[in-house]
Amino acid sequence: MSFTKQTVTSARMGESYEIYRHSSGLTLNLYPMEGFSTAYAMLGTKYGSVDSIYQIGDGPVRRNPEGIAHYLEHKMFENEEGDAFARYAATGASANAFTSFDRTAYLFACGDHFKESLEILLDFVSRPYFTKETVQKEQGIIGQEIKMYDDDPGWRVMFNLLEALYHENTVRNDIAGTVESISHITPELLYECYESFYNPHNMVLTVAGSFEVQTVLDLVEAYYHKEYPVVDIRRFVPDEPRAPKTAYVEQVLPVSVPMFQIGFKGLSLGETGNLMAQPADEIILEMIAGDCSPLYRRLYDEGLINSTFGTEVMCGRDYISLFFSGESEDPRKVYEEIQKEFTRFCEEEIDRELFEICKRGVYGRYLTLFTRPDNIANVLMLCHFYGVEPYALVDSLAALTTDDLKQRVRQCYDPAYSALSVVKGGEES
Amino acid sequence: MGNKLLREQIALGAYFSSVRDGKFKNNRITAHMILPLRREDATQNALLPFLMRKGSADCPDFTALNRRLTGLYGATLEADVGKFCNSQVMELSIIGLDDRFALEREEVVRQCAQLLAGVLFRPHFVEGSFPAADVELEKNYLKNTIEGEINDKRSYAMLRALDTMNEGQPNALRKYGYIEDLDRITPAACREAYDRMIAGAQFEIFFTGSGDPAPAKEIFAEALASLVRRPVEIPAYEPQLTAGTVKEVTEEMVLSQSKLVLGFRLGRLETQAQQNAMRMMAAIFGGTPFSKLFLNVREKHSLCYYCAARYDRALSLMLVDSGLSAENKDQAVQEILRQLEEMKAGRFTDEELESTKMALATGLRSTTDSLGAMETWYMNQILRGCAVSPEEDWQALRRVTAEEIVEAAAGVTLDTVYLLKGKEA
Repeated sequence: MSFTKQTVTSARMGESYEIYRHSSGLTLNLYPMEGFSTAYAMLGTKYGSVDSIYQIGDGPVRRNPEGIAHYLEHKMFENEEGDAFARYAATGASANAFTSFDRTAYLFACGDHFKESLEILLDFVSRPYFTKETVQKEQGIIGQEIKMYDDDPGWRVMFNLLEALYHENTVRNDIAGTVESISHITPELLYECYESFYNPHNMVLTVAGSFEVQTVLDLVEAYYHKEYPVVDIRRFVPDEPRAPKTAYVEQVLPVSVPMFQIGFKGLSLGETGNLMAQPADEIILEMIAGDCSPLYRRLYDEGLINSTFGTEVMCGRDYISLFFSGESEDPRKVYEEIQKEFTRFCEEEIDRELFEICKRGVYGRYLTLFTRPDNIANVLMLCHFYGVEPYALVDSLAALTTDDLKQRVRQCYDPAYSALSVVKGGEES
Repeated sequence: MGNKLLREQIALGAYFSSVRDGKFKNNRITAHMILPLRREDATQNALLPFLMRKGSADCPDFTALNRRLTGLYGATLEADVGKFCNSQVMELSIIGLDDRFALEREEVVRQCAQLLAGVLFRPHFVEGSFPAADVELEKNYLKNTIEGEINDKRSYAMLRALDTMNEGQPNALRKYGYIEDLDRITPAACREAYDRMIAGAQFEIFFTGSGDPAPAKEIFAEALASLVRRPVEIPAYEPQLTAGTVKEVTEEMVLSQSKLVLGFRLGRLETQAQQNAMRMMAAIFGGTPFSKLFLNVREKHSLCYYCAARYDRALSLMLVDSGLSAENKDQAVQEILRQLEEMKAGRFTDEELESTKMALATGLRSTTDSLGAMETWYMNQILRGCAVSPEEDWQALRRVTAEEIVEAAAGVTLDTVYLLKGKEA
């Protein structure tokens, strides 16, 4: 078994990291950081809530219950000998895991005992163990997790928006599924998903902070001792119309001021294209409604938005949307104003001075991503799965021009393709 | 674990502290203005940081100020209000990129310090006070913030449990103040509150980052030197040591999941060693994913997704909270108290003790890897009147023995059982 090594350097930051490709199929992104006390390691698979429909090679199309990737994440922590948390207890590492739309990651942060902690991580993620009893037991715990999110107005307002924006795309499904959907999950289904998606070719190990590179290489050699065949995962590509499913969606929950989230549905350029476009999209958002924009000022002074107002780009394999969210007594009015401003932005010349200011703001935000071990490990994993080199992303941001921005909005956005989601207190209307 | 805290007095009742570490790419400067938390002026004090955030005499226009910040590589200027025992803490902080990464080698740190000092000491006044339109807007937004405490159900339930436990004491007052006070707050009243804060608050200016703190210190020292200062004493907090009859409170809300909070009194914990023993006791009991509460209430009985214990060192009390189905409340309370009895009886292993210590060590180490965490750490130290580094804290914590933990557990008594009960819409 062997590694091929590639060093990636950023002249801008005066930093570098290393990519190792192991003959097992696993990729490693290692980012040692001088002066730090902790290390942060993540082992992830490109498998999230959007991957509930797929084919392996020419095999049958599988339609799994919503929430299965997240359920699998919970169950990976348990095997014959017990609970992975109990094993981490002996090393002092702070361990966790998460499932997002398009990935599942197992992670730990530690000061001492890096080697022992990494050993646990590599070991438990490579040994699935599911029985009827252990799978059954988790229904109560995840059921309570789902209910917790059902009561979270910020979570609801976002998923209601995704349901409004998308007709077919599985990004509209809640990551944890529903109490009903998870009741169909069996050990057999979990094994099948594990075999399909927890293949080293579909995975990456990222480590940042204080650690020895050689320790990681030695352990990967020890735990991945064969060349795994590539699994031909064919993910469901939805036939998604450009227009949203509905323009308005509303839910009643206990909130003081109505919460809103507005989404502009973009044209997806695939995962690499979408991520590479994210800095430009963030500048667009800043220019349309960031806190130095004329619109922000007007809405703030009219009492239509408050300091909770914010913007965000959400992108993945086959979706990209621009979000504006916050609290308002009159979300429809805010939506109308943002739509008007978005239209104006698409049609008129770009304000060069505002562009330069917003570009610097976004540039500072991207550099700040490289300041903490946890952030770096996350960025490396995301970029690996999206086929993007993180330093190149920052460099492309520094080189952006107003013409690039103009082209971007014209090509991928249309203010008509948008929707408004509202969560408000009181009686359902 | 990280670099040393330097703290020096720069004016009467005003201190400048810094922790410098070259590994960071950012600098963060926070001004904390500390006043006694009092019913009569909590609301107008709470408005001040948000009013100041709107502009300064140097840069009176809100949008122009935001443009300057964004142009400074997305520097963020944040206003908020905190609470520590009996004090209300008005906060303004600025976080910016270090000079090394500026595209044109601008002096970002100095400009950030000037901006912060500007909004704090040279506010934009019209006819002697904050602009009337701003006061009206910020009053309305503060109302949103006060009402917004119900949005996060977990923290709302804990807040209500604390209300029950500390009723009638200053620390039970709301840090953002009260809606019924807002109507009568005028621009003139805001000016008076501002003057009282500038003269009477204890100032703690905190610098963390890779840059040179000297320009920031100079700028703040100079601004403070020209002020007439009469710092106000903060009344000491006296915790209740033992619970009386258990208070049972149930409130209803339209929710899928109910929230249970148990509040405990902790007895007399005077020394650092006793407090460290209580930290260990709470962590073994319910502070980790291998704690007694996690393994029993969640894993064994599948009653919830979370069940955690948190020791509030400043208030000297402990809260246990969990999200569950209301019909499982009695079973959960019983199980939580049963696990507490295990702690009191010393039924925890050396392994549990050592593992929990290591988990706490990891938390302490990661403190020094984040600017925000470092500031929070040292500010809590300063507010408690000490200056222990995370490393020194770890050295003290590792010496805690099982006997000391059992002794700490012996003083724990149940004060309040609060349930935020879900009901159908």
